[in-house]
Amino acid sequence: MSVVSVKILLFATLRSKYKTRELAVECDGTLLNMIENASKILGLEFIDDVYDRKEGKVRDDMIIMVNGRNIKDLKREITLKDNDVVAVFPPLAGG
Amino acid sequence: MPRGYMGKILRVNLNTKSLKVEPTSEEVARKYLGGKGYAVYLLYKYLKEYEKAGISPKDMDALGSENVLIFATGPGTGVPGFPSSGRYHVMALKSPLTGSIGSANSGGEFGPFLKFSGFDAVVVEGASETPVYLAIVNGEAELRDAGSLWGKNVFDTCRILRNRVNGKNISVACIGPAGENLAYMAGIVNDEHRAAGRTGLGAVMGSKKLKAIVVSGEEKPPVAKPKEFAEVSKRCLDALKTNAVTGVGLPIYGTAILINIINTAGGLPYKNWQTGVNPDAEKISGETLAEKYLTSQRSCWGCPIGCGRVTSVKSGPFQILASEGPEYESVWALGGSTAIKDLDAVVKANHYCDELGLDSISMGSTIAAAMELNERGYIPQEDLQGLDLRFGNAAALVEAVWRTAYKVGFGKYLALGSKRLCEIYGHPELSMSVKGLEMPAYDPRAMKGMGLNYATSNRGGCHVTGYTVSPEILGIPEKIDPLKAEGKAVWVKIFQDFTCVVNSTVNCLFTTFALGMKDYAELLSAVTGWDLTEDEILKIGERIYNLERVIINKYGYDGKDDTLPKRLLEEPMPEGPAKGHITELEKMREEYYKLRGWINGVPTKEKLVELEIEL
Repeated sequence: MSVVSVKILLFATLRSKYKTRELAVECDGTLLNMIENASKILGLEFIDDVYDRKEGKVRDDMIIMVNGRNIKDLKREITLKDNDVVAVFPPLAGG
Repeated sequence: MPRGYMGKILRVNLNTKSLKVEPTSEEVARKYLGGKGYAVYLLYKYLKEYEKAGISPKDMDALGSENVLIFATGPGTGVPGFPSSGRYHVMALKSPLTGSIGSANSGGEFGPFLKFSGFDAVVVEGASETPVYLAIVNGEAELRDAGSLWGKNVFDTCRILRNRVNGKNISVACIGPAGENLAYMAGIVNDEHRAAGRTGLGAVMGSKKLKAIVVSGEEKPPVAKPKEFAEVSKRCLDALKTNAVTGVGLPIYGTAILINIINTAGGLPYKNWQTGVNPDAEKISGETLAEKYLTSQRSCWGCPIGCGRVTSVKSGPFQILASEGPEYESVWALGGSTAIKDLDAVVKANHYCDELGLDSISMGSTIAAAMELNERGYIPQEDLQGLDLRFGNAAALVEAVWRTAYKVGFGKYLALGSKRLCEIYGHPELSMSVKGLEMPAYDPRAMKGMGLNYATSNRGGCHVTGYTVSPEILGIPEKIDPLKAEGKAVWVKIFQDFTCVVNSTVNCLFTTFALGMKDYAELLSAVTGWDLTEDEILKIGERIYNLERVIINKYGYDGKDDTLPKRLLEEPMPEGPAKGHITELEKMREEYYKLRGWINGVPTKEKLVELEIEL
């Protein structure tokens, strides 16, 4: 499997917790591998912050957008490409 | 009278300076709850009386003495333990900005303290020849001379009147210079920084020469079933405190936390909605506001969320020692649509909106429209009188705000709102408004449901009539695809109806991020003693929305007005995740009308009978 390089953006409480706004990560194109590799930079807690190990998928309450599209709306297996931007938001609202 | 209510309504006639106390009607309350619903019912009765007297609704002058202004609370307002019930609703027969119904909602303390003063609502008829204010203290109401207050800003008016009333639970709702000068986007501001901002109700108050209402009292609304209420209240308060949005996100970051996510979704209008992607969003984001400006939180009465921001600008030309906000919509209108990336200036402009009594959404959007008109060369330079309205000019933004409030120079054009402004300069298509009300911070090309909601909102371009951003972007209560038009009509209808319930309860819409219709039915049942089901409260909401629609139909608003600016219907989004998208309004609207039982924006007779609306 080829290696792709993506940019991860963190927002709100995730940003303040990890004191990081963005980071570049290389991965095999899957979200899980991206999260695992990001946790090597941010710390292992990052995995549990965004990933539900029991369910084997991204946590349902997290808002994860790939190039501005929520992964829940894409309704397909996510395959990341080079230079994709992955925005990770904790649950939030306003108005 | 059922519990939850104070049982009295104060009717003030400013022509005759007479005050009359009437009982709150249980029959009306059972059908329309309170707040917005009860006010809509009363306004409809006025309209019928006017019609009988030969006054056409279409000819009614929003700034004439015939307009009626209602400050209304609901059965939840001010009930200790009713979560986030520190709000009130204001309505007017007609808005000077839109010509449609006037409607706005505010937090702080005024709503509960109005009830503690002994009344469920205050109805204001007529107009005074000289400035007056209304004082309601422990059930006693009095009109007093406001000559010495006329001309004063909101902060001074609140401070002075608070000192004049020597009681407990004092709150002031007032207008600033913008309302006195009849700026069409003037709001009513209470407790210094909380505004019933939309649809120009401050100008209605100004036209009546009613400077302020000050309330004070200690009478608490009773609860019908204290044991049941304690249980459901605890459950709901716990839900709000433990929910990730209402218990963590909103308290830490406030509403401006939305800036980055809405921009990421490609729906944050930029440069008067020319695109939905703001390259400088990060600079005006909730994260930046929290990091550099936030000094503390401020909660409304009885609210466990505490989304209010207390802020300061520490130094520089836009220094402010203490302010509140800006909220998400204000950051966007004053900073996003105008392409101003200096958050210092946005905080200052927002502060001036509160101090002078202006709706920050309509103010910012009107300035953004003027910037586009100016950059396209449509405004003669002599009209601008040196006001350099270019996108991104922070100094011009701040200057434009006070010029509008005092109608100085180009401010007299800005004070008319974007619709009239753009018409005057020959390009009505550049006003990003619906029914004359400037739309808030969500581009419907990137979230289609909001387009249908804006188009069909009775008061005009409004997000809080039916906030489908919640499912479309935030995934609450479930995630739906923002870029699909299919299936949006049912969401819009339910959200609009349920929002009527919230605004008639009256409490905060943010509770709905954690609480559902079942919670509302149980809270309202325990407080009032009625046995309300989810279906019943939703029917009440639908009844309110339909009666409000009947009123605006009388002003001439129908299907032709349930539309959007041409830009959103015809110009594809130029970039971002919604690139190439327009708003497919027609097919969503067709489905919506079917669901509503409306034909061309007008409720059918059968629908009104079904909803037990007596015409």
